[in-house]
Amino acid sequence: MAQVPVQTIHRDPQLFYWILFPITAVMILTGVLRHYATVLMASAAKKLDQKTMREQRSLLHGINVRGNSHALSKRSFTARRDALITAYESGAYLKDPERRGQAPPNPMSDPSSMEGMMGMMKNQMAMIIPNTLIMSWINAFFSGYVIMKLPFPLTIKFKSMLQAGVATKDMDPRWMSSISWYFLCIFGLQPVFNFLLGSDNAASQMAQQMGGMAPNAGQMFGPGVDPDKQFLAEAENLAVIEHYSVLDGVEQRLLEGIKV
Amino acid sequence: MSSERELQISPIVQEAVMNNSKTLYNLQSLTASLFGVGAGILGLESYSGFLFYVVCSLLTTMLFYVLRVAPTSLPSGKAAFDASRYFRSQFEFWTGGLMNGLAGFILTWTLFYGLVRA
Repeated sequence: MAQVPVQTIHRDPQLFYWILFPITAVMILTGVLRHYATVLMASAAKKLDQKTMREQRSLLHGINVRGNSHALSKRSFTARRDALITAYESGAYLKDPERRGQAPPNPMSDPSSMEGMMGMMKNQMAMIIPNTLIMSWINAFFSGYVIMKLPFPLTIKFKSMLQAGVATKDMDPRWMSSISWYFLCIFGLQPVFNFLLGSDNAASQMAQQMGGMAPNAGQMFGPGVDPDKQFLAEAENLAVIEHYSVLDGVEQRLLEGIKV
Repeated sequence: MSSERELQISPIVQEAVMNNSKTLYNLQSLTASLFGVGAGILGLESYSGFLFYVVCSLLTTMLFYVLRVAPTSLPSGKAAFDASRYFRSQFEFWTGGLMNGLAGFILTWTLFYGLVRA
């Protein structure tokens, strides 16, 4: 097979000092800044009044009793279940019992629910603004430079992505411009942030997007959910549990576990 | 029913599992970046570079198993190369490092290849 001659491009070594290192340093520092901005902007959990707290905690109590019923003996489980079902069905734990059966208020009009949305917006902003700024900064200052060569070959499709702003037709797609170094930094700096800021940092936008996909735990008590309906559903769930205890037949298991 | 019951008799603590996989993830991503430095300085290109990465990260997982998992896992009756005492999924334990560290590897590989060779 004919050997394809390797393209060599003579570049000024100063390119490294004036393009590569500034971009890398800015990316790392932005990550650190984003981490601390997120930490500072995180609003402390809002204090709930006693009635609301009781409503949420008693629902959680029911869920926990249901989930851990196997750890209770038959008698204590029955006692708990009966007490909880009675209270749920009579609405004893409701925040305002006289409003039972009415439609829940519009979540948009409730000021307390706006807090959560604002928090989400802030996180989004902390992610979008630095990215846009850095991207336009790189485009304004460093576009059109070829700074590095990838150590592995790529197909021609990557050319338009890696060599944005370098309109040279015959150049090997392995040569990359400054904007593609920026993209490499976005994806590859996570270990650096892990090392610098501890492993549950908020520096990388990748991790934030992953976290955004996870179901929100606060959704359960979110606005627009009727607590009365939740209580009734939970009472039903508790009523249908077929109770058994892990201690049933424990003597048998113990004797089996002892090797003679 | 029987397996659910066994889980309740000896429960799996979610936090401990998360902590284990986070420890493994940190190790893998950090070593992957260092392998990138190595591959860049050696001047490896294309396939040999990726091969270097695969071999090195499997070696890391192997060492992790031998030094951290095996001393307590083997006496507790697990078979050799069975990490299920600390990790949920065998597949994830042995090959998770390949995916976790790839981006960091490519970044440092490119950087040091560019600094040393080109």
